[in-house]
Amino acid sequence: MILVRMPQKKKELTLPGPKRVLDILAAAGVRPTTVLVTQGTRLLTKDQRVEDGETVDIISVVSGG
Amino acid sequence: MKCKRCRKAAAAVDLPSHHSAFCPDCFFVFFRRQVEEGIRKFSLLEPRDRVLVCVSGGKDSLVLWDILMELGYDTEGLYIDLGIEGYSDRSGEKIAAFAASRGKEPIVVDLRREGVPIPEAAKRSRKEECSVCGTVKRYFFNRVAATRGFTVVATGHNLDDEAARLLGNLLHWHGDHLERQHPLLPGEGGGLVRKVKPLWRVSEMETAAYGFLKGIDYVTEECPMSEDATSLVYKEALSLLEEKMPGTRSRLYMGFLTKKGTFLNFLTSAEINEAPPSGAEHPGTCAVCGAPTYAETCGFCRLKEKVGRGAVR
Repeated sequence: MILVRMPQKKKELTLPGPKRVLDILAAAGVRPTTVLVTQGTRLLTKDQRVEDGETVDIISVVSGG
Repeated sequence: MKCKRCRKAAAAVDLPSHHSAFCPDCFFVFFRRQVEEGIRKFSLLEPRDRVLVCVSGGKDSLVLWDILMELGYDTEGLYIDLGIEGYSDRSGEKIAAFAASRGKEPIVVDLRREGVPIPEAAKRSRKEECSVCGTVKRYFFNRVAATRGFTVVATGHNLDDEAARLLGNLLHWHGDHLERQHPLLPGEGGGLVRKVKPLWRVSEMETAAYGFLKGIDYVTEECPMSEDATSLVYKEALSLLEEKMPGTRSRLYMGFLTKKGTFLNFLTSAEINEAPPSGAEHPGTCAVCGAPTYAETCGFCRLKEKVGRGAVR
């Protein structure tokens, strides 16, 4: 399974791998233009494939006020 | 996906709105060029400027401070501690660490000491937190710049911020706001310091990517006071458009800047006709604190007066 962490929402979900980043975002219900997807110190592009057993973080980039 | 610039390294940032994708090194070049072009286009900054960078601890302002230093500008950071329990302390810590790593120390204005911490000031004045925050920040940005000899105030507003603000101004036909919406607000004599938004060409995602790849440790949590901010609704609407039609945000804002004069001539609201054209009329001075203002008393002093006599809701 892929572990998907969304620290700002304090949420996590697991998805069967492998999956493209774009599909992970769709499963998480997140608009691709509003987030960074990171893996450690790496930024992932939306077409990249995430393997079973890996972890990714979805970081929102939207600020208000 | 390969980097579209060097065609060697793997891409780390894909930018559908630019039909491009970059590896980290090429993305830094792209980002830097975008900011340089934004500064050049409207002569936002001159090499001899002393720049006061307003930093909140979030990605935009820290990235702005970082890149202005990299571009060789003489900068100092100003942090307004909003007095929001927990959040303000964490923001201040991030800024202090960022500044220290670059041999700097931020100028700090503590709103608790000034008697107007945002949550309490909003309750006592019976105003929205974001509105109070805007009034207080604008006041201290200008006051600190004017009293410490800075020639310009720079804020980290990015393309998404400006496009969202434009959409809001259009939806409500805020003619006077539309007239003043620009990356450059000239200094107007009477103590009003020039204000600039050097990140107006780069998106929120690009700014965040730059911050992440540069290892800038910023506050990722959202201000707890801004949960219901209308700007977030406009951003959400624009994100939907951007997803279906990449580049929409940029075309909206850059088109507005290009066609602004012609467009505003079509508007006939009394609001626009009555508004003093930017830079055409010098402000007077506040009867209480002496700050520049177009009213008898400045917005900050009026707020302080309300806070002083207001009962907690």
